[in-house]
Amino acid sequence: MSIPAAQLRTRVPRIAEAAVERARLRVVPRRRTKAARVPFVALVSLLLLGGVIGLLLFNTSMQQAAFATTALEQQAGTLAARQQTLEMELDVLRNPQRVAERAQAMGMVPSGTPAYLLLANGKVLGEPTPATPENNLRLHARPPVKPAVLDPDPIVNQVVAEGPTAAALTGRGNEGRPVIRDAGRDTATRDD
Amino acid sequence: MRTSARPTSRLRGTMRGSPLFRLRLGFMVIALVLSVFGARLVQLQGVDPKAYAEMAAATGTVEVSLPAKRGDILDRNGEPFARSVEGLMVVADPLLTADQAPEIAKFLANRLAVDYFAILPRLREEGSRFEYLARRVPSTLATKVVAEAEERGFEGLDTRRDPVRDYPADDVGANLVGFVGTDEALAGFERTFDAQLAGTDGSARYQVGGGNRIPLGESTIVASRDGEDLRTTLDLDLQWYTQRVLRQTVEDAGAESGFAVVLDTKTGEILSLADHPTFDASNPLVAEKEDLGSRALNDVYEPGSVEKVLTAAGLLDAGKVTPRTRIVVKPELRRDGRTIGDWFDHGVLHLTMAGVIAKSSNIGTVRAADEFGRGQLRRYLTRFGLGEATDIGVRGESAGILPPQSLWSRLVGDRVAFGQSLSVNAVQLAAAINAVANGGVRVDPSLISGSATTDDGTVVGTDETTTRRVVSRKAAYQTAMMMERVTDPDEGTAPAAAVPGYRVAGKTGTAQRVGAECGCYDGTFTVSFAGFAPADDPRFTIYVVVQDPTNGGGGGSVAGPAFAKIMGYALRRYAVPPTGTKPSQLPLEW
Repeated sequence: MSIPAAQLRTRVPRIAEAAVERARLRVVPRRRTKAARVPFVALVSLLLLGGVIGLLLFNTSMQQAAFATTALEQQAGTLAARQQTLEMELDVLRNPQRVAERAQAMGMVPSGTPAYLLLANGKVLGEPTPATPENNLRLHARPPVKPAVLDPDPIVNQVVAEGPTAAALTGRGNEGRPVIRDAGRDTATRDD
Repeated sequence: MRTSARPTSRLRGTMRGSPLFRLRLGFMVIALVLSVFGARLVQLQGVDPKAYAEMAAATGTVEVSLPAKRGDILDRNGEPFARSVEGLMVVADPLLTADQAPEIAKFLANRLAVDYFAILPRLREEGSRFEYLARRVPSTLATKVVAEAEERGFEGLDTRRDPVRDYPADDVGANLVGFVGTDEALAGFERTFDAQLAGTDGSARYQVGGGNRIPLGESTIVASRDGEDLRTTLDLDLQWYTQRVLRQTVEDAGAESGFAVVLDTKTGEILSLADHPTFDASNPLVAEKEDLGSRALNDVYEPGSVEKVLTAAGLLDAGKVTPRTRIVVKPELRRDGRTIGDWFDHGVLHLTMAGVIAKSSNIGTVRAADEFGRGQLRRYLTRFGLGEATDIGVRGESAGILPPQSLWSRLVGDRVAFGQSLSVNAVQLAAAINAVANGGVRVDPSLISGSATTDDGTVVGTDETTTRRVVSRKAAYQTAMMMERVTDPDEGTAPAAAVPGYRVAGKTGTAQRVGAECGCYDGTFTVSFAGFAPADDPRFTIYVVVQDPTNGGGGGSVAGPAFAKIMGYALRRYAVPPTGTKPSQLPLEW
C-alpha cells in the first residue's frame, strides 16, 4: 500500500501542498484511555457479597423451613392421633349394646310392627302392634349357674306382724324379700 | 553444590551427607509412605467399599421405619368392626426409675390400666435398661401421661410406637372378624385377609442435626403402602340384634350352642351371621378355644325337616306332584325292614302335599319322594349347593356330606328326603332355602363386599357371586305357598314364627343329632327354623339353628320365635312394607 502511495506522491505535482498535506491520511497514535477500576471492582464485590449473603439467607430460610416442617409434622401426628382417639371414643358411644342399655335404662322398649301408609292410594298396610316390655331384649348373658353349695335356698321365716301385708307389698320391688326361683323350666312339645 | 562438597571429600567413603544419597533416601521414604497409603486405599475401596460407605453415611443419619396403617374391617354401611388406632407403649429405663419406683408405679397405676404390683419390680429391674410398662396405649393418653410424669420429676419413662387394634363392637361379629395378637393376625378375617389389611411398611433415611432434618442433606424415602379396608356385607346393628336374640334363645332353651344366618334374598349377601357362644374380640384369650371360630360354617349337622322344602321344590319342578297332590299317610311306614314314623302319633291321615309340608310328615315326604327317578333327588340337592363348600372367606369351613350316588341306597334316599343321613353347614342350607325364596335361582352367598383374596388364593366377595337356576319359578312359588302354611296359627307347626302383618313362609326342623363320642344318634336334637318374608315377594331369608335344647322344645317353639323377632327387626330396619295380599289357603287335607 505504501509503495503505490509513494509513487503517487512523486508523480503528483506539488500543488496546494499545505492542503494536500492536511488531507493526507496518516496513522494516528492509539489513544489509551484508562477505564476506571473502582466501579468494576465494586460491582464484582457487590455481586460476590450479594451471592454469599443471598446463599446464607436462603440456607437460613431453608433451615427455618426445616424446623417448621418438623414442628408441623409433629403437630399433624399429634392431631391425627387425637382424631383417632376421638373416633375410638365415638365408636364406644355408638356401640349398639351401649345404646340399647341406655335406652332400656330410660324405660324404652323395642318397637312392635309398624303399619305402612301407601301415599299413592292412601292404603294402610300391616297390623301395627304396640311396643310392650315383653318385647324387651335381654342385653346381658345370664350369669353362670352356681353349684347348689354356693347357692342355698333362702331361709324364709314366716313372721306375722302388724303393718302392711305381703300382698300390699307386691309391686314395690323386691327389697328385703326373698326371691323364689322357679325351679321347673317350661316344657313345650316337640313339633316334628 | 559441588563447591560446597569439596571440603568434605574426605568423608566420601561413608556416603553420609551425600546429596544423592539423601535424595534417594527421601524418595525411598516417600515411596514407602505412598505404598502404605496405596495399600490402605486398596483395602478401603477394593475389599469392602460398601461397608465403609455405609459407616460414613451412618454418622448423623437417621433411619426410621414408616409403618403402614392396618386397614379397617367395616360393615356394609362403613361402621367399623375392627379399626387401627395410633398407639404407644410406655417403657422404662430401670437405671433411672429404680430410685422412685413406688411413686412412678402408683402414678402409672392411677393413669393407665396397669397393675401396681406388676410394674413395680420392672421399674427396679437390675441390669436392664428397657422394660415394658404398658402396651397398646392410645397415643394421646400415653403422651399426656409421660409428659405429666416428667413434670412431676419422674425420670426414665419413654414411649415407643405400638399400634392399637380396636374392636369397638366387642363381641359383635367377633366370630367372623377374628382378632390379632401382638405381632400377627390370629383368627377370622384378620388372618384370612391379612395380606390386604396389613399393607407394606416403608422407611425413611435422612441426616439430622440438632434433632432437625438437614434440608439439603441426604434423604431417601420409601413410602409405606397402607393396608386396604375390608368391607363386609354384614350390618352391624342387625348383627348385634341377631346375636342378642340368639343368646337369649340358646340360654332360655338350655341349649349347647346356636347360630343364625340372615340373607338378602336377591343378592345372597349375608347381613348377619351370629354364633353363640361367642367371645369378646377385645379380650379373646379368656374365651374357650372352640368358641373362637364360626360354628355356622365349621360345624356340620343333619338339617332335619327343613330339608323337606328342597325335596318338595324338586318334586314340583320335576312335575311329579302339585301342592294339592293327595297322599295317604299311614301311622307308620315299613321300608326294607326299617320303620319310619312321624313326630306325632296319628291314624291314617289324608294329607295334600301342602299338608305334608305344613305338618312336617316324614312318611308323607317319603311317599312323595318315591316319585323321583334314580339319582334325581341327589341332582336337585347338588344344584341347591349341598355337599359343596360355600367359600365365602371363613376359615375352616366344613362342606358337609351329601351321600355319593354309589352309597345312595333306598334307605339312604328315604332318609335324605326328610333331612337325615346328610349333613350341611348353616350357610349352605340358608343359601338353598334362599334359592326357593329367590324364584328358584340360587345366588352364591357372600360375606365380603366387592372382592378380596383369601390367604389360600381364593377370590371371594359379591363381585364373584354366580347364580344358577335350580327349580322353575313356578315350582319355587308353589313351594313358598306350601311353606306359608307352616306358620298358620291353627294348622301349621310353627305359629310362633309368624310376624304380625306379614306373610311369612318357613319350615321347622328337629333332627336327631350325631354325638361326637359315639358317632351315632345320641338322643340330642338339632332344632331349627328357616324361612323368608314377605312370602310372595321375599326380601330376607333367615335360618336359626339351636343345638341340643334341654327344655324339650322343637323347631317351632325354640327357633320359631327367634326367627320371628329377627325377621320383624330386619323388616322394620329396612322399611319393607307388607305386600298386602291374601295369605296362602292351600288345603292341607282331603
